[in-house]
Amino acid sequence: MKKLTPYLLSVPQIVLGIIFLTGLITGITQSLGVIPVFGLEEVTFDYYKEIFAKPDMLRSVLYSLYIAFVSAGISTVAGVLICMALVAAGRTKGKMMRVVQIPIVVPHVVVAIFVINILSQNGLLARFAYMLGIIGEQQDFPMLLYDPGGAGVIFAYLWKEIPFIIYFVIGLMASIDGRLGEAAVNLGAGRLSSFFRVTLPLCMPSILSGFLIIFVFALGAYELPMLLGATVPKALPVLAYIQYTHPDLKHRPYAMALNGIVIAISLLSAVIYYMLIKKGSMLLKEKEWSE
Amino acid sequence: MKLEIKDLYVRLQKENILKDISFGIEDGSFVSLLGESGCGKTTLLKSIAGLLDIERGDILLDGDSLLPVRPQDRGTVIVFQDLCLFPHMSVEKNICFSMELKKTPKEEQKRRVRELLADVQLTGFEKRKIQEMSGGQMQRVALARAFAADPKILLLDEPFSGLDEKLRVEMGALVKRLQREKHVTTVLVTHDKKEALQLSDKIALMHQGEIIQHADARELLCNPCSPVVSEYFGRSAYVTGEVKDGVFAGEGYRFACGEADGRYDVMMLLDANVCCFKSRERGLQYGKEDRV
Repeated sequence: MKKLTPYLLSVPQIVLGIIFLTGLITGITQSLGVIPVFGLEEVTFDYYKEIFAKPDMLRSVLYSLYIAFVSAGISTVAGVLICMALVAAGRTKGKMMRVVQIPIVVPHVVVAIFVINILSQNGLLARFAYMLGIIGEQQDFPMLLYDPGGAGVIFAYLWKEIPFIIYFVIGLMASIDGRLGEAAVNLGAGRLSSFFRVTLPLCMPSILSGFLIIFVFALGAYELPMLLGATVPKALPVLAYIQYTHPDLKHRPYAMALNGIVIAISLLSAVIYYMLIKKGSMLLKEKEWSE
Repeated sequence: MKLEIKDLYVRLQKENILKDISFGIEDGSFVSLLGESGCGKTTLLKSIAGLLDIERGDILLDGDSLLPVRPQDRGTVIVFQDLCLFPHMSVEKNICFSMELKKTPKEEQKRRVRELLADVQLTGFEKRKIQEMSGGQMQRVALARAFAADPKILLLDEPFSGLDEKLRVEMGALVKRLQREKHVTTVLVTHDKKEALQLSDKIALMHQGEIIQHADARELLCNPCSPVVSEYFGRSAYVTGEVKDGVFAGEGYRFACGEADGRYDVMMLLDANVCCFKSRERGLQYGKEDRV
């Protein structure tokens, strides 16, 4: 029985792994144009080529990358700045962290409703602007939702992901700042100098990992671009879904090729993430104090 | 430089950690703060460095109060217990940290690093990563980094506590040599009596947030001002007995002493050959001492 225990304990992992890999392999096979049921049997890169050749599909790829990159980038910068302020003020635990956690647990769909209520032309901001006489009609309020610039989607991601970055980074930042930051101050560095020379560089692997997590999430997530995004261009997952549910079943390889692009970027990000985490933990590993 | 601490009180998390600390350290001397864990040694060190807010009192450097001076400008450099070397920097960058801040010219920085590494016997280690160093080597880098900051006061917070016995002795000797050569006023926090006795010009014995006695080693051992001090330094025995005609007798002990006749509680320091008498009748405090 003792010998069996490790195998039994790893069963859930194996089952999940098999499901994940089956889906992944099926998806990649289909993206290469192999769906025997539909009479498609030849391996081809045509679907990928077509995605990059068709302007609307290429636009979707770029649009998704843009949304993911901008929302992850702003979230990361804003999150780190807020972390810095919280660490400087010594508010890294307790009530303040409870407040930070709230947006993390709110589902994206609910966030979409908030954003519609706030940013749409019938939303709170538009009404305030109208009430204050800044705009003549509510329809004069700028189209922040469903616009090709993706402002609404990005805003919704920021609301969710800035707290995520804070939560992801603050523990490490507080501990580095308390120990090594103090040492830097003792050696003559001002608070800011100590932060930028010591604390921030040491938090960097962790910050970049946080960036990658939300970047990949935003790249592959369906609901926010679907609910708040423009009709054209469509985000990759939205386009993939439309292609997948297309009445002509021969469109399915396009859907899978679109997913293939998301998978490729995600895998690349995962590798970088792994390398960063390894680097971070090597840097901060406490060394045994013996000769 | 001369360091003076006057009536210092420090509270942390609503608890009095330091109570009425007053003592002075002469220019260029080596003083140890000795005491058991939690007695406030490190708090005192960090208060001197300005890393903790003090409740009241004053800290003077050559007669000028340090309180208005920002921690980064005090020149009271700590070698931390866990060293706090910057793991993302090479040995050279660690040592140069304070010089970079002062915008010392690069050539001058390189020359100083070479000198300091020679001082701590790590010549040629400039480009090494911190993670590649052993514990003893990291101690030396931390020491070199502290000296590179031109400390007015060097504060050592149990820097040898992670080392084995042989290395402790070696590092102690190295610190002492450098301290003498550079004539830096130094405060060592330690709970190791032997270390304190070997290295220091004077020892301040701390107990529950107070300095009980600040004196040189000989004075502490021969004239402990309270039982806490004598207990700290050696094996002791408590005996009750009677002095008659200058001879104490009780519980199997019998020896000459200078006390007046009467009943006494006697504390004997077996290691230091010292006795403390407390009169039963007159209720005198411990403090009279005599050779056994």
